[in-house]
Amino acid sequence: MIEFMKPLSLYYHVPFCARKCAYCDFASYPGREGEMRQYFDRLLTEIRRWSVLTDFGLLSDRFYVKTVFIGGGTPTLVDASCIGEILDHSRFIASFADDIEITVEGNPGTLTPEKLAVYRRAGVNRLSLGAQSFDDCLLKFLGRIHNAAQIGEAVRMAREAGFENLNLDLMYALPGQSMAQWRDTLDAAIALDVPHISAYSLIVEDGTPMAARVASGEVILPDDDTVNAMQREAIERLSKAGYGRYEISNYAKPGFECRHNLTYWQRGDYLGLGCAAHSMLDNCRFHNPDSLDEYLAGARMMDFQRLNDSDILEETVMLGTRMSQGIDLSLFKNVDNRRLDRLVASGLIELDNGYLRLTTRGMELQNAVILELLEVLGC
Amino acid sequence: MNYDQSRIRNFCIIAHIDHGKSTLADRILEKTGVMKLRDMTDQVLDSMELERERGITIKSKAVRMPYTAKDGQEYVLNLIDTPGHVDFTYEVSRALAACEGAILVVDASQGIEAQTLANVYMALEHDLEIRPVVNKIDLPSAQPEVVKQEIEDEIGIDCEGCPLVSAKQGIGIDDVLEDIVKNVPAPNDDVDAPLQALIFDSYYDNYRGAISSVRLKAGRVKVGDRIRMMAGNREFDVTEVGAYLPLGYSPREELCAGEVGYIAASIKDIADIHVGDTITLANNPAAQPLPGYKPVLPMVYCGIYPADGADYDSLRDALEKLRLNDAALSYEPETSVALGYGFRCGFLGLLHMEIIQERLEREFDLDLVTTAPSVVYKVIKTDGTTQFIDNPTNLPPVQEIDWMEEPCVDAQVITPQDYVGAIMELCQDKRGTFKDMKYIEGGRVLLNYDLPLNEVIYDFFDQLKSRTRGYASFDYELKGYVRSDLVKLDMLLNGEQCDALSIIVHRDRAYPRGRSIAEKLKEAIPRQLFEIPIQAAIGGKVIARETVKALRKDVLAKCYGGDISRKKKLLEKQKEGKKRMRQVGSVAVPSEAFMAVLKMD
Repeated sequence: MIEFMKPLSLYYHVPFCARKCAYCDFASYPGREGEMRQYFDRLLTEIRRWSVLTDFGLLSDRFYVKTVFIGGGTPTLVDASCIGEILDHSRFIASFADDIEITVEGNPGTLTPEKLAVYRRAGVNRLSLGAQSFDDCLLKFLGRIHNAAQIGEAVRMAREAGFENLNLDLMYALPGQSMAQWRDTLDAAIALDVPHISAYSLIVEDGTPMAARVASGEVILPDDDTVNAMQREAIERLSKAGYGRYEISNYAKPGFECRHNLTYWQRGDYLGLGCAAHSMLDNCRFHNPDSLDEYLAGARMMDFQRLNDSDILEETVMLGTRMSQGIDLSLFKNVDNRRLDRLVASGLIELDNGYLRLTTRGMELQNAVILELLEVLGC
Repeated sequence: MNYDQSRIRNFCIIAHIDHGKSTLADRILEKTGVMKLRDMTDQVLDSMELERERGITIKSKAVRMPYTAKDGQEYVLNLIDTPGHVDFTYEVSRALAACEGAILVVDASQGIEAQTLANVYMALEHDLEIRPVVNKIDLPSAQPEVVKQEIEDEIGIDCEGCPLVSAKQGIGIDDVLEDIVKNVPAPNDDVDAPLQALIFDSYYDNYRGAISSVRLKAGRVKVGDRIRMMAGNREFDVTEVGAYLPLGYSPREELCAGEVGYIAASIKDIADIHVGDTITLANNPAAQPLPGYKPVLPMVYCGIYPADGADYDSLRDALEKLRLNDAALSYEPETSVALGYGFRCGFLGLLHMEIIQERLEREFDLDLVTTAPSVVYKVIKTDGTTQFIDNPTNLPPVQEIDWMEEPCVDAQVITPQDYVGAIMELCQDKRGTFKDMKYIEGGRVLLNYDLPLNEVIYDFFDQLKSRTRGYASFDYELKGYVRSDLVKLDMLLNGEQCDALSIIVHRDRAYPRGRSIAEKLKEAIPRQLFEIPIQAAIGGKVIARETVKALRKDVLAKCYGGDISRKKKLLEKQKEGKKRMRQVGSVAVPSEAFMAVLKMD
């Protein structure tokens, strides 16, 4: 039956955190733990709403669940049984594939063997840990609640509970971070031998404490060349250690690419439930409110947008060029080959077997390159 | 009130900028009761938004006010407003020609300034009775007696009984009105002679068509008369005559000699009305037009393009509307490789150009790209023919040019003695030829230079202002063409010539100008995917070079889970930015870059 059905990815948002990090502008609401039970009740209700007939029909008629991602916030902060409840309910949306990938995102300081055992029993088979850095000073600067030692501890604990598919999130381009510090962090992550590493350069978002510190001149961001050098350092060290760069900020050992995140970049169908979660179903985009209060008050499915053909092509360029696999050129009918060749000659893109991908340099300039590509590809 | 020339007073107000001309005009309107206090917005006569903001008067207007004087008699006061800038010198002279008297406003603490003198001389040229008024006496720093003495000493006008006023506080306004009635001569025009009406302003009214503001110097005109424009040589039937009130029209049966008002005659095209022309009757024409008519010729040209090509039609409509109120503006379509479809526009001078640009952007909400201003060059070709060039792009190839000539102006600078050296240096820098120097009243000097117009439109005003702390005043008149060693300076971006950036310059100026433009472009063009060489070249020979380095990093590290809206927003912003850029070959050039090269330091 399954080969006639389309894959679906499910995302659940857990908007609770022990503390807000200095750079964070996600939907997370520390200090509102008292509303957790209420929140999960609402979330379970929302899941049930998608398990019956909806505007998109009965999803279980057309889809099977390929991946589930429980992100946040800090999902590992909340009672582990909540995670189990969510996953149990999810099976009513659509049936789970045999090789389903189920990820829980969490903070190294919040894991316990008991929680991990509950996750395991509930079917979770991948953990994504916000390690960020192996330098205690930088962790403090970022406002994280854990220290470097707890990262190794968390990985060990996870393995003991039977989790092999682990990811560590790392951050670079931090104010005051030296290249040596970044190398040490990369080496420490590699030494833990997890199969997946994400390396994000810091984005200073408006309205965060970090933005205020940058604006006041209290901290100074590294210049573009330094940021590029750090990224190239990551590419080189990780590649030597057997990690392939399959997306701008993501590296994995063969076969351990995050299939859930690939759904976003490949424009597969996904349903996001809970506060601030985004969805794309049958080329329609919508999302739930960012505000916890609005979510609890019942607001759902905002900014509903049906994508037309040109939106789809534009998104394909925008998202597809983030991946090393690139984009399928046969989708584009009005390609300006002269300008395309110029981009190739300038070392920004590569053409390979009908696919277009950005080079390392092209990825450093992805925003500017896609602006050019949209014209070159006739979008 | 019945027509009685002896009860008419036609006057204008002249002043140095900021000495309170507009405020005094407002108080006079208020005092005579044509404006109720509640109708008053500051500076009623400056009705255009732009005028009010810049504190300058662009178009002249006239207002008729009834006034019962202390002698118990009723009078008609016509206040004719004049534009205050050198670009509009001709319009000022026509407005002055419509008056018998001028109120000279002098600031009680600033005293006489350069423009005060320039205005006085112009009023004297028109034989106006000049009535001094000392304004701003309410200021703590006011020294009215000292200023009165200064006026007597430096201008030689008797200040006995001169009104001391504060226009702002409304003090002394009665004295001004009485002074006008007593001392400004009544018109003495022949009402039985054939009609001679001087056009001192024109504008377009949506209901009445193009309208002439006139001063009747002889005869009378009424609805139904067939009139003739003596210089324009066109005839029209009068549909309405009348006087102006501050907030509208006051139609009347007829206008007679000595009066000021308007004539409407269903004139569709503002270009049929020439400021300075004389209106007469078709069946009983005057033998001679009034003296002083000069056709308005644009002196400065530039290309105006919509920043977004889709706005071309809106730009054309806007220019059409502006020209209805401004016969001095000319335009015709042109195309540029870099800028697409736009218009070549002609202006009286640089300020006129700036005002039109601002009005287009503000009143019509258009985003514009403007090319460097150019004058009209004369090219004598090897085949003996002559060609006029108002756009550097149209310059024939070098081998077809025998020689070139550029327009030259007769420039007069009036300056306090201290700045003579600075001004001579400036004029020398601007390829000027010294003609004459005269000492005039009040330790001031009148300098006379021949200057290439091309240098005057460049940054002469700014330089003059900064080198004389605003004390010098400047006036010029087109003199004719002189032979000159001119070259076309081209700018190349990534090896491709950008036509919109080409300029014609004197050979001696080419190198520094090329350097300076290349540097400006380097600042204005954002980093892109590729390195961009910027070159300045004359006839294929590169004389200056700069480089815009390639972008280093421009990427969002994280695509926030399934929320792609931030990335999309960023992309939309980038696209918007790109839309405001012009593609020159492979280089995206922001609209501002085209303007940036005009602003030189």
